[in-house]
Amino acid sequence: MPDNSQAPVGAAPGSGIWRNLRRLALFTVFRLVALFATVVVGVYLAIFIANMGGMVDQLREAQIRAETAEAVRAEDAFRDLTPLERNQVIEERVQRERARLRLDEPFVVRSIDYLRQAISLNLGRAEYMHSDSGSHRVYSIIGERLPATLLLFGAANLLVFTVSLWLALWLSRNYGGRLDRLVVALAPTSAAPGWFYGIFLILLFSFVLPLLPAGGMVSAPVPETAFGYARSVLRHMALPLLAMFVSSIFVSVYSWRTFFLIYSSEDYVEMARAKGLPPRLIERRYILRPTLPPILTSFALMLIGLWGGAIILEQVFNWPGLGTLVFQAVGHRDTPVIIGTVVIFAYLLAATVFVLDILYAILDPRVRLTGGGR
Amino acid sequence: MIVKPERKPLLRVEGLRLHYRGERGIVRAVDDVGFEVARNQALVVLGESGCGKSSLVRALFRVLPRNVETCTGKVWFDGDDVMAWREEEFRRRIRGVRMALVMQAAMNALNPVVRVGEQVAEPLRLHLGWGRERARERAAEVFRLVGIPADFLRRYPFELSGGMRQRAVLAMALVTEPDLVVLDEPTSALDVLTQANIMNLLKRIKAKTKTSFILITHDIATSSEVADRVALMYAGQIVELNSADKFFRQPSHPYAKALLASVPRLRDGVRPESIPGRPPNLIEEVAGCRFAARCPVRFEMCGRMPEMSAVAGDGQVRCWLYDA
Repeated sequence: MPDNSQAPVGAAPGSGIWRNLRRLALFTVFRLVALFATVVVGVYLAIFIANMGGMVDQLREAQIRAETAEAVRAEDAFRDLTPLERNQVIEERVQRERARLRLDEPFVVRSIDYLRQAISLNLGRAEYMHSDSGSHRVYSIIGERLPATLLLFGAANLLVFTVSLWLALWLSRNYGGRLDRLVVALAPTSAAPGWFYGIFLILLFSFVLPLLPAGGMVSAPVPETAFGYARSVLRHMALPLLAMFVSSIFVSVYSWRTFFLIYSSEDYVEMARAKGLPPRLIERRYILRPTLPPILTSFALMLIGLWGGAIILEQVFNWPGLGTLVFQAVGHRDTPVIIGTVVIFAYLLAATVFVLDILYAILDPRVRLTGGGR
Repeated sequence: MIVKPERKPLLRVEGLRLHYRGERGIVRAVDDVGFEVARNQALVVLGESGCGKSSLVRALFRVLPRNVETCTGKVWFDGDDVMAWREEEFRRRIRGVRMALVMQAAMNALNPVVRVGEQVAEPLRLHLGWGRERARERAAEVFRLVGIPADFLRRYPFELSGGMRQRAVLAMALVTEPDLVVLDEPTSALDVLTQANIMNLLKRIKAKTKTSFILITHDIATSSEVADRVALMYAGQIVELNSADKFFRQPSHPYAKALLASVPRLRDGVRPESIPGRPPNLIEEVAGCRFAARCPVRFEMCGRMPEMSAVAGDGQVRCWLYDA
C-alpha cells in the first residue's frame, strides 16, 4: 500500500489534494529552473563556439585595421601627412573602433554580456547579412525565412507522422502480411537522407520529364492572384516534400509498427481480449492510451525539429528557408545570426519539454501521483 | 466433496489441438485434449511449466498469438458448439460474459493508466450495456466480495499491492457472474500467505455461487484444496483425468505417481523424489507415449501412443498399463 500516513499533521482536511498540489507546484518550479539552466548553458556554448572562443574577435580586429587603413589612405585630408603621422591616425581610429565594439575588453567579460542579451531575447543586429527588405535586425532576417521552412517541413513531417502512425497501427494488426514484409524490406532505404532522393527526383521530374520546377519557392514573375501564388508554391513544394516523405516514411512506419507490436502483446491487452472487448476499443483504450506519452513526445520533438529545417535539402532545392540562412551565416561568420537562431531554438525546445512534462503528468497517473517517478 | 456431473456438462472439450509455428518447426502445445467441467465444479489442470497449460487457456478463449498453425477441436459451452461460432459472436456471447479469465502474471493484467474500478466495470458496461452508476455499484459489490475496500475502485493499478491486484483481476472476472471462471496460475507470483488467502476466497465464492472453475496450476499442494476433479497434463496431452480424491490418494498414471512423490512434505521425513530426465520438447514428433523416456515401468507397448482408458472412480488414464 502506498503510505498515505505521512501527511503532515496540521495539514488542511482533505490534505491529499493539497499535498498533491504543493508537490505539483514544487515539481513545476524545479522543472522550470532546470530547463532555464539548460537554456543558459546551451546558449553560452553557442556563443562560445560561434565566436570560436574569442578567435573571431582577432579576425574582426584585423579587418577593422585593414578597412581603417584603406579609408585613411583614401581620404584627401590626410594626403599630406607623413607615414608615421598617418599610422598614428590609423591607430587612433582603430582604438576608437575597438573601444566602440568593446573589443578591448577580455572575451570572457563580453561573452557574459552577450549571454545576458541573448537570454533576454535581445538578438541585436547582424554584422554582414540583411533581410531581403534590407533590415540588419536578426529578428527580421529570421522572421523572413521562418515561414518558408515551417511550410515545407511542417507539411512533410505532419504527413510522415500521421501516415506512419496510421499505417503502423494497421500493420501491427496485420503483422506478417505482404505489406508488412514489404515495409520491413524497404526500411533500410531511409538510410539515405532526403536531399539524396531530392537529386534524383529533380533529375527525373524536372529534366527527364519536365513536370515540376527544380528549385525555388515560387515562380518568377510572382503570380498575382492568391490562388495562382498558392498553386505555384505547391508545385515548388512537391518535389522536396516527396523527397522527405520517401526518405523517412518506411523506417518511421517500421519503428511505429514494432512499437505497437510490443505494446499490443502486453498482458493487459491480452486480458482485454479475454474480457471480450471489441478490437476498436482495445486499440484505443489498451494500446493507444497507454502509449500516448511516447507518441506525444515524438510528435512534439518533430514539431520543434521543424525549426531550422534541413540545411542540405534546402540547398538542393534552393528553398529560401532557415537552413539556407544558417548555412550562409556560418559562411559569413555572422555570429549574431547564428546565436539568434540557437537562442530561439533553445527557448522553443525548453518550452516544448516543459509542456510535455505537464502533459505527461496529466496523461500518466503514475507520474501525476508520484511526482515524476523521483 | 465431489459434485456429481450433470447430464449436460457446462463445458465439454474434445480433441482440442493448438499448434504454433516455431522457428525450428511446429510446436504441439495442446494435442488432442478433452475434458468436461460440470456446473459449480472446480477442475484443476496440473502440469509442469511448458506442458501446454496456458496454451490450453488461449485455445479455450480463442485469444491466440499470431503464430498459430492449427487450432482445432470441439468445445461445447452449455450445449452450444462454440468453436463453430464466428469470432465476433464468440466475443460478444462468451468471453467475459459467460466465461471469464483470471490471467497469469496478474500484476500486469491491469491497464496502468485506467482506474481499477473502470476496468472492473468494463465488461458490464460493454456486454450488458449497463449504465455507469449501476456498473459502479456492482463493481463495488464484487470488490467487497473479494475483500478489497470499495473506495479502491478509484485507484490506479500501481497504487495496489500484488495481492490486491490479483483480487482486483479476480473481481473483474466475477463481475458479470459468469458460468465459468478460468484461473491461469492465479497465485504463482504471490507469497504463501496471500496464496492461501486467495484459495480460501475461491472456496468461499464457489460455495456461494453456481460458478464453475478451471484452475490451471503447477502447485499441487494449493490445488488439492479446491479441486473437485484433476486433469494432469504432460507434454501437451492430458495423461490422467480423475476425481480429486482418487487422484491425490491413488494416482494411476506413472507420471502422476512420480509427480505426487516429488511433493515435499513438511513433517513426515519422506524425501521428495525428482523425476529423472526432462519432458520432451514439443517440437519433436514423439511416436509413442510421451512419458515413456522417463517412465520407470515402460514396456514394449509404449512405442505406440496410448489412448485414454477408463480407470476406477470415473477417471481416464493415457497409459498402456490400463488398456482394457
